[in-house]
Amino acid sequence: MRKISILVLFVGLVWMAGFFMSAGKHEGPWKPTYLSFNIPAGWPKPPKDIFISNRLTEEGFQLGKKLFYDGRLSKDGNFACATCHQQYAAFANYDHDFSHGFNNAFTKRNAPPLFNLAWMPLLHWDGAINHLEVQPLGPITSTIEMAEQIDSVLFKLKKDSAYRRMFKAAFGDATINSQRLLKAIAQFTGTIISAGSKYDKVQRGEASFTPSEQNGYQLFKTKCSGCHPEPLFTDYSFRNNGLSVNKLLNDSGRMRITRDNKDSLKFKVPSLRNVAISFPYMHDGRFFSLGEVIDHYRTGIVTAQPSLDSLLKKRIPLTNMEKNNLIFFLHTLTDSTLTHNPRFAVH
Amino acid sequence: MNNTNKWLIVILAILLCQQVMAQNNQTQNNQGTITLSFIPNVAGKPLVLNDSSYTNPFDEIYQISKFRFYVSQVSAKDKQRSQKEKNSYHLIDAADPASLQFSFSLKPGKYNSIDFLLGVDSVRNFSGAQTGELDPVKNMFWTWNSGYVMLKLEGRSTASTALNNRIEYHIGGYSGAFNTIKKIHLDANFEIVAGKSVSLPIKTDINTLWQGAHDIRIAASPVCAIPCALAMQIADNYSKMFSIIK
Ligand code: HEC
Ligand code: HEC
Repeated sequence: MRKISILVLFVGLVWMAGFFMSAGKHEGPWKPTYLSFNIPAGWPKPPKDIFISNRLTEEGFQLGKKLFYDGRLSKDGNFACATCHQQYAAFANYDHDFSHGFNNAFTKRNAPPLFNLAWMPLLHWDGAINHLEVQPLGPITSTIEMAEQIDSVLFKLKKDSAYRRMFKAAFGDATINSQRLLKAIAQFTGTIISAGSKYDKVQRGEASFTPSEQNGYQLFKTKCSGCHPEPLFTDYSFRNNGLSVNKLLNDSGRMRITRDNKDSLKFKVPSLRNVAISFPYMHDGRFFSLGEVIDHYRTGIVTAQPSLDSLLKKRIPLTNMEKNNLIFFLHTLTDSTLTHNPRFAVH
Repeated sequence: MNNTNKWLIVILAILLCQQVMAQNNQTQNNQGTITLSFIPNVAGKPLVLNDSSYTNPFDEIYQISKFRFYVSQVSAKDKQRSQKEKNSYHLIDAADPASLQFSFSLKPGKYNSIDFLLGVDSVRNFSGAQTGELDPVKNMFWTWNSGYVMLKLEGRSTASTALNNRIEYHIGGYSGAFNTIKKIHLDANFEIVAGKSVSLPIKTDINTLWQGAHDIRIAASPVCAIPCALAMQIADNYSKMFSIIK
C-alpha cells in the first residue's frame, strides 16, 4: 500500500510538472554567450542604449559579421556592406570619393568610416537615419547601392542551412525575419569600437607624443575642438564648415531632412579618429589629403554662406609649421588595433 | 504522515491545477469582444482598386491602385475608464480584405467612444527594427529618412502632371513641425456583454483627403512623399475620414 501511494504521488508530480512546463514552449535549452558592451575608460556613456532590446551575444555578433560581408544582401551578389566599408580603411571606402554601387552607379555621398556608432545619435551625413538597426534598410534597398528587396534577401538566407543554424544560435530558433537580420547587423556594426590609437595610449600614459605631435595636439585643442571634441573627436552636431556648394550634387545636407532653411548646407561633424586612413574627406570626398583639408580651414572657407558656423567666420589662421604639426597629430588617431583586429575581419 | 494524508495532498494538488486552468478560461469568458471593420469608400461609392473612377470635390477624376494606413493604440472608453488593446498595431490595406477588420476583448459594460492613432505612435518610429504589422517588408517604412508612412494612397488621375499621370501620397513624419500622427476620437455608444461580440463598421471616406481644413488639388500636388507642410495639410484633411455606421 505504501509503495502504491508513493507511486501515485510520483505520477501526480510528473503530471503537474508536465502541465507547468507545457505553459512555456520549450525546444531545448538555448544558451547564447552573452557579451557586455564596454565603454572605454574616460569616455561618456552613449546617449541612448541601442542594445536595450537587442542583447549582445557572441552568436548575434558572428551572424552580423557574416551578413556584413555577404554579397547576397545585394541584388546581383556583388555588393556587400564591406564592399564600401573596408576594415583597412577603418570601414570607410578606401581612396573613393564616391562608392560604386549596383549597375555601375555611384553613391551621391562619400562612404564614412564605421566605428563608435553606438555614440552617434543620428546616422548618415544629414542625420536621416534615427537608429543603427534600421540603417541597413537604406543601402540594401537603394537602387544605386545594393538594389535589393528585404524579402528577397530573407528568401536567399532561408535557403542557406548555415544561416538557419546561425539564426537559431543567435535568437533561439531558426526563424529568419527582417528584425533579426537588422538586429544581428547592428550587433556587428555597433560594437566596432576605435579606442586603441597612439593618442589613446598617450592618454593612458602608455606612450608619449613627439614634440611636433604634442604641438599639433595643443593647436587642435584650441582650433578644432569646438566641433571635433575629444574623446570621440566629434560632437555629432550638424554644422556648415564653409565648403563651396558642389553644383553637380546640390546637396543641402541636414535641410533635406528638417526642411528648415537654417539647416541648409549643414552636415554631421565627422569623427577625426582614423582620419589619416579614411581619405578622401568631406561629405562629397572632395579633398584627398589632410593638407587640403587644413588649407580649406585656413583660406578656403566660403564666408558668405548664411549658415556658416560662427566658429569659422574668420577662418582658422595657421602657419605652415602649425599645419604640419596638426597633421602629425591627426596621424596619432590611427587605430591599428581596429584595422588589424581579426574579430572584425572576414574569415 | 500516513497514507491517507499523502493521498489528500495529491488530490488537493490536482484540484488546485484544475482550478488555475479553469480560472484562465473564466477570465476569457468574462470578457466580450469588439470588432472594428473599416469600409473604404469614396464619397459613398465602394472602393474598387485599379478599376472604378472617382471624382474629387474639384472635379478631378482619379483611380486608386493602393490605399493603406496604420491604426495604433486603439482603446475603448466609457465615462470613467479606458481599456487599451494590447500590442495594438494594424496595417489596414484595401488590397487585403482580412486586414480591414480586427477584434479585441473588452470588459462588459457600456462604452461611449473608440479612440486610436491614425499612424504609428512616435516611439515605434525611432526604436529600431520592428516586426509583425510594423515589419519594414510591408513597405511602409521609409529607408531614406527613418520613420513610418502613416498613410499611402496611389493611383492615376488625368489631372496629374506627374509621370504617367500618377498620383502618389505617402504621408509620414512623426515629430517636430511635421508630425502627421492623428488622434482619432469616434463617438460610439455600445455595450459589451460577456462572451458576446459587437461589431462597429467604420466608413472610411477617401475623398476627405482633398477638402476640409485645406484644399488639395491633384493638379497642384499630384505627389507628396516626404514629411513636409503639404503632408501635414493632407493629414489634417483625412483625419476626418472615419464615421461609424449606425
Ligand atoms: C555602395 C556602397 C555602400 C554599401 C554597399 C553600403 N554602404 Fe554604408 N554608406 C555608404 C555611403 C555613401 C554612406 C553615407 C550615406 C549618407 O550619408 O547619405 C554610408 C553610410 C553608412 C553608415 C552611417 C555612418 C555615419 O557615419 O553616419 C552606416 C552605419 C553604414 N553605412 C553601414 C552599412 C551597412 C551595414 C551596409 C550593408 C547593409 C552598408 N553600409 C552598405 C555606402 C555604402
Ligand atoms: C565649426 C565646426 C568645425 C570646426 C571648428 C572644425 N571642423 Fe572639421 N569638420 C566640420 C564639419 C561640419 C565637417 C564635415 C563637413 C562636410 O562634409 O560637409 C568637418 C570635416 C572635417 C574633416 C573631414 C573628415 C572626413 O572624414 O571626411 C577633417 C579632416 C576635419 N574636419 C578637420 C578639422 C580640423 C583639423 C580642424 C581644426 C583646424 C577642424 N576640422 C575644425 C566642422 C568643423
